[in-house]
Amino acid sequence: MSDWILGEFASEEKLLEAARELRAKGHAQVETYSPFPLRGASEAVGLRRSKIPALALFGGLSGATAAYLIQWFTNAVNWPINVGGRPPHSAPVFIPITFETGVLISAFFIFFGLWIILRLPQPYHPVFEVEAFRSASTDALWLSVESTNPSETEQLTNRLRGLGARQVSVVPEEP
Amino acid sequence: MSSSGSWPEPSGERQWRSIEEREGSAELRAALEREFPAGAAELSDGIDRRSFIQLLGASLAASAVGACTSAPAERILPYTRQPVGLTPGNPLHFATALSLGGRATGVLATSWEGRPTKLEGNPLHPSSQGSSGVFEQAALLQLYDPQRARLVKQRGTPRAWKTFLLDTSLRLSASAKKDQGAGLRFLLEPNASPFVADFRTRMAQAYRNARFYGYDPLADDNGPRGVQLAFGQPSDVQWDFSKADVVVSLDGDFLQPPGPHLRHARAFSQRREPARLNRLYSIESTLTITGMMADHRLRLRPSEIQLFALELVQELVQQPGLSSLSGVSQASGQLARSEHLKWVKAVASDLARHRGRSIVIAGPSQPPIVHGLAHAINAVLGNLGQTLQLIRPVAGVESGVASLSALADEIKQGAVEMLVITARNPVYSAPADLDFGKRVASVPDSIYHGLYEDETWEKVQWGIPAAHPLETWSDAQAHDGTVSIVQPLIAPLFNGIPEVELLASFLGVIDKSAHQILREFWIEHGPAAAFEQRWERWLADGFIANTASPSVQAALRPDSLISAIRDWVKEQQGQVRSTPDTLEVNFVGDYKVYDGRFANNAWLQELPNPITKVTWDNAALISPATARRLGLERDDVVLLQYRGRQIEAPVYVLPGHADDTVSLPLGYGRSGAESVARGVGFNAFALRHSAAPWFDRGLIVKKLSRKHKLAVTHDHWAMEGRDLAIQYAVERFEKEPNALEQLRGPTETLYNPVNFDREQYKWAMAIDLSRCIGCSACVVACQAENNIPVVGKVNVLKSREMHWLRIDRYFSGTLEDPAVITQPVACVHCEKAPCEYVCPVNATVHSDEGLNEMVYNRCVGTRYCSNNCPYKVRRFNYLHYTQNKPKSERMLMNPDVTVRARGVMEKCTYCVQRIERARIQSRIEGRAIRDGELTTACEQACPAQAITFGSLNDANSAVARLHRDQRRYDLLHELGTLPRTAYLARVKNPNPELA
Amino acid sequence: MQSAASADPLDPLPLIAGRQDSDSLTRIIFTPVWEKTRRGWWFLFLLGLAGTGLLTAAITVTFKEGIGSWGNNMPVAWAFGITDFVWWIGIGHAGTLISAILLLFQQKWRNSINRFAETMTLFAVMCAGMFPVLHLGRPWFAYWLVPYPNRMTIWPQFKSALPWDVVAVSTYFTVSLLFWYVGLVPDFASLRDASYSRLKRIVYGIFALGWRGSSRQWHHHKIAYLLLGGLATPLVVSVHTIVSFDFAISQLPGWHTTLFPPYFVAGAIFSGFAMVLTLIIPARRILGLEEIITLKHIDNMNKVVLATSMMVGYGYLMETFIGWYSADKYELFSVANRMFGPFAYMFWLLILCNVLAPQVFWSRKIRTNVVATWIVSILVNVGMWSERFVIVVVSLHRDFLPSSWAMYKPTWVDFGLLFGTISFFGTLFLLFLRFLPAISATETKELYKELSEEHAEATAA
Repeated sequence: MSDWILGEFASEEKLLEAARELRAKGHAQVETYSPFPLRGASEAVGLRRSKIPALALFGGLSGATAAYLIQWFTNAVNWPINVGGRPPHSAPVFIPITFETGVLISAFFIFFGLWIILRLPQPYHPVFEVEAFRSASTDALWLSVESTNPSETEQLTNRLRGLGARQVSVVPEEP
Repeated sequence: MSSSGSWPEPSGERQWRSIEEREGSAELRAALEREFPAGAAELSDGIDRRSFIQLLGASLAASAVGACTSAPAERILPYTRQPVGLTPGNPLHFATALSLGGRATGVLATSWEGRPTKLEGNPLHPSSQGSSGVFEQAALLQLYDPQRARLVKQRGTPRAWKTFLLDTSLRLSASAKKDQGAGLRFLLEPNASPFVADFRTRMAQAYRNARFYGYDPLADDNGPRGVQLAFGQPSDVQWDFSKADVVVSLDGDFLQPPGPHLRHARAFSQRREPARLNRLYSIESTLTITGMMADHRLRLRPSEIQLFALELVQELVQQPGLSSLSGVSQASGQLARSEHLKWVKAVASDLARHRGRSIVIAGPSQPPIVHGLAHAINAVLGNLGQTLQLIRPVAGVESGVASLSALADEIKQGAVEMLVITARNPVYSAPADLDFGKRVASVPDSIYHGLYEDETWEKVQWGIPAAHPLETWSDAQAHDGTVSIVQPLIAPLFNGIPEVELLASFLGVIDKSAHQILREFWIEHGPAAAFEQRWERWLADGFIANTASPSVQAALRPDSLISAIRDWVKEQQGQVRSTPDTLEVNFVGDYKVYDGRFANNAWLQELPNPITKVTWDNAALISPATARRLGLERDDVVLLQYRGRQIEAPVYVLPGHADDTVSLPLGYGRSGAESVARGVGFNAFALRHSAAPWFDRGLIVKKLSRKHKLAVTHDHWAMEGRDLAIQYAVERFEKEPNALEQLRGPTETLYNPVNFDREQYKWAMAIDLSRCIGCSACVVACQAENNIPVVGKVNVLKSREMHWLRIDRYFSGTLEDPAVITQPVACVHCEKAPCEYVCPVNATVHSDEGLNEMVYNRCVGTRYCSNNCPYKVRRFNYLHYTQNKPKSERMLMNPDVTVRARGVMEKCTYCVQRIERARIQSRIEGRAIRDGELTTACEQACPAQAITFGSLNDANSAVARLHRDQRRYDLLHELGTLPRTAYLARVKNPNPELA
Repeated sequence: MQSAASADPLDPLPLIAGRQDSDSLTRIIFTPVWEKTRRGWWFLFLLGLAGTGLLTAAITVTFKEGIGSWGNNMPVAWAFGITDFVWWIGIGHAGTLISAILLLFQQKWRNSINRFAETMTLFAVMCAGMFPVLHLGRPWFAYWLVPYPNRMTIWPQFKSALPWDVVAVSTYFTVSLLFWYVGLVPDFASLRDASYSRLKRIVYGIFALGWRGSSRQWHHHKIAYLLLGGLATPLVVSVHTIVSFDFAISQLPGWHTTLFPPYFVAGAIFSGFAMVLTLIIPARRILGLEEIITLKHIDNMNKVVLATSMMVGYGYLMETFIGWYSADKYELFSVANRMFGPFAYMFWLLILCNVLAPQVFWSRKIRTNVVATWIVSILVNVGMWSERFVIVVVSLHRDFLPSSWAMYKPTWVDFGLLFGTISFFGTLFLLFLRFLPAISATETKELYKELSEEHAEATAA
């Protein structure tokens, strides 16, 4: 059983400061929320490098290879025909489709990769319980931290206030 | 050997059944009035005319199924007994003959399970020699025309054939008792049928006072009269152009019908090769096919040509040994020296240099004197028996305008009680002044035997639907008198009555079929022995051997010619010269519809006119200078006034036309029930006068504000200095034989071309521009062979015509006196075809033997292939042209060729279906396909033998030899497409004296 | 804090005008979505629907009667259909270009117009995508261009540029769509959170996929968005290059030239920016976005228009030069035929619209004058259409053999398809303006923050 403690901060600096503070105190589940990406936020909550570039590269290469193979197989292997006296396997004319397909598949990997990594779509999340949290996507800066027992919840609430949160609210886990 | 056995004979009961359907067709008539107010409404949208015709055709055909004797499309039962010699899926070939202008051309018909689909020339027949013209090729479409007359009608009311027989026989016997048929007149389609000749004599016995007339508006009366003038005896003339080094044509378009034009074309074109090149001088008013071939062409007003002939005689007399012409030359007295004296001198000396090896020929439109002069010249040059033969006249009735006006007079005097018309639509084609329609209507008892319910049909008491020549038994004679038995390919589709049966009925024979009657006639006339075998042979050959009329000896007897010239000179003095504002009118037969009898034939209507490239119209032809003077340009509508009559016509400005002359092609502006012919062009017969049926002064041209858009398929005249259709003087060719080196052979390329030499065959074509006369027979042949649709005027105006094979026609030199060259262009089957690599779906690819194949059912219709085809020979089905074809026209389709649907590309296939048939045959016989065994449709039809098809891998094949010829070049060679169709440059033989 | 206007003293034109904060920006950007539908919108929308009706009619006739209902013929087998296709594709290029390339180059002025441009791209490509299918003789077999396994093992023919085209255009559309949506998700979230009607919250909520704006989400989102931009950039260039191959691989004089790829791409960007201007100028006015889409943006876009105009101008010059330099009589003729042939007026129209008209942008006064800009942008759209017409029709109607030369006359169906697609495009765009934020709220806020920081530093120093 665990609770979610949310705090709203007036300024970016305070927010990130708080995030660092809490992580230093050994709270793993610290998250910041903002209407636009904050410089330094990733470091503050300690995120590792994203895998998406690797995915993109892989998708691109596999797409291109597949495209070239398909063209080669259909036109030069499976049923070669004399078309305008040109050789059945002429690499230059296969390039455009190879390239385009590479881009397409790569884009798919990025797009779906992103949602899978973020585990989206996710219709419900405890933070949505707090009405005030709606401002997070428009203009306010929020911070969330998870606690495992009521006493910790109590002390985290105070700590957030101490770190300068304008308002703090707790989302209790349903038993 | 006719296939008519397969279908049941017509029965009176069935005929009656069809009368209800007739009402239906009457409604369609009404619809038709609405649809074509003088061919204007159809221009609204791309599909009107066609879809309407199809509609009409379809419903008529539907009604026909009940009415007509056979509907093969319906018969799905297998043969219980297989007809002799018939293998389903393999066509049979039957020999028969088609007549035009009273002379027969032998043809071979291809028949699929009793369904004729293609006509070819009969190689054994003297006037065909295996080739055919546009009219022969298009005859089949007429056979299947759903708009043909279907019912015997008395003043529009359907009657049974038997009723007609009863009715007439009564009145016949009455008139026989009264006055031996003093009131009985026949107006016959000119023909040299021995049976009809015999019929006339027998009628003369039965009805002593009955009389016969013939009528064909384009018949050549002047020729025979000219022979009479020159030789004092009647005879027909046989020309042999293969022996003539010099040909002088006085308005004589000898490469076109009437006459044995196929034979002429064959012989003439043989002499157009550099080795044995002849020289053609054409003196003519309008540009003709013959004129396009001429080495020197002099354009004169029609009336000036006689003067030219006389000058020529006077010039020839100067030449040594030709003094025997002096009488003739003196007769014409002192002529006003004309501006083309240089010409006359050149021609004269050239003729004098080629005695016995020259021809002077005059055209039907020229008066007898010109013919007489021509023959006189031929005689003194010793051409008689060399380049021309006189033969005993082939039987036939005189059938010119004169004969028709004689009949008209008789009717006016009320001498005619019963008039039987088998001539094709004389009411339409009669000179206007005869007012023949009124005359016919005034005859108490008139009978018309016609293919259509046309202008004549409307005027008569009795309309009898005629059986098409391919539906009936009869006989005919070729230009040289050779007799052919005409046999049917199919039982009458629309209740047509054979002419033989109609005529026989006047001799009381009413219970016999044409077949019986004809057999009996031939059994009578001829050795009884072994008749059956001979009969079979005649049918198999398509003609009766050794029946040509014998040649006759004749010497020049110029007296009557001289007196004729004297008279002419006298009346000339009386005459006033034409004032500048009146022009000369010049009536010409049409290359496409002849005298209008083929006007309902969509193939011919859509065929671009060989000279003007106009489709679906005729036009008043004038010279550029005259056009400038009158402020006219193409498509302007003008009012033509002549002898108190007037018509409106669109103008076509034709380079090389004589000044101050207007040529009016006959045969258009039909108003009969045929909806294809209706509202197409203007009717020049409405201006024709029996006093001067061919040409005359006194035409007044007034420009109207209206315009009439002519559907021209070939707008641009010049070649823009590109090496497309190449022609040059023979001297230059001899001086620099390698002039064309840079226009053939391999070109720079990245890829090595595919090597086809290891294949068994390497199909290729060669087209000799020296031989091609541009007659367009190949175009129609291709259309018939490959089920090519007709798209109608609206779509031709949008330049969507579908012809796989077109004939490009380029002018060079001055607008006034241009040099003309024609060039047939179809798919040239490039080895490195630009069309192929741009097709996204492999719908056009290359075969191992080098055919550029079009896969219709794979085509999605991106049309990129056409964009990338530098020859623009691909055709696209922009609309569903083959949708709802009339049932009867579906029978015409060649089962070996796919009928294409909407949205697919199509083009020349080198007649791949013929290649495959030849391949099958050769494999059955375990051999290779022999050279010449396989011909494409265009090649087979071509009377000039300009097209050659074969395999390049056979080094000795004709096509391989032509590909090695020094005149060979590739069209657009610089593009490196390696076309398989090679062209041979045209060589000309100009006279240095005229240079 | 005061306006970011004087952030750069050398460049008085502000990227964001007036005093703002995240909240006010949100309000400015979302108002058009929240406020009740205006009468003007309805009027335009119905107009668009009417035009879309015309489009439907034209398409129906095309499918029922066949291409015969168009003016196409032999030799002009391609005409309006392909002209429209290339025109729309060209327009579709500005979107991705603006957002992608400018994103890579970290161009600040990109932010307030990229959403706009991307959306335009999507709709333009939709219109373009219709034509390759419509212009087929047998459109129901369009799928034959795709290598699907079939028992007859008949495959597409990849030497033709048309399959390239299919792949390129569909890829372009897909990638643009993904790029657009990825950028849109955070805005959906803020729409979800900022709206008060339950329905809106649910609907926007669905599209927001449960976005919370957490640092983790931003972490991956940023890199994904950047990568997509990185992909889209070469894509833009390649797509129009391939479109130009449709012509360049042929051997028709006027098509057969290596100049086409760069010159088509330049032309695409040219027409794309012109179309953005045509749309954005009225939009910013009506939707009251002047503070976010400022004269600065218009000024910059006009600079791009001027530059690309010079590029296509160079293209025309080169075509003419090569026509003469090749010493090929067919090339030479096709050039002459463009300038003096029966369709010369189209050629001179395109010179006027594409080369001469944009020259006015040398003056900053006109660059920052919305009315003048708007007129020129429309001229450029017309000019680019006629350029494609000249390339497609005028090259075809007179090629190698004078015997097959012919004229081309469009039918009502041709015009129906052209104006129909324009209306369809307009309709979609109106819907977009009504239901989605025309400007990326997220990025604008981010930008505003950066700007004010710069300003702070500037003032501190």
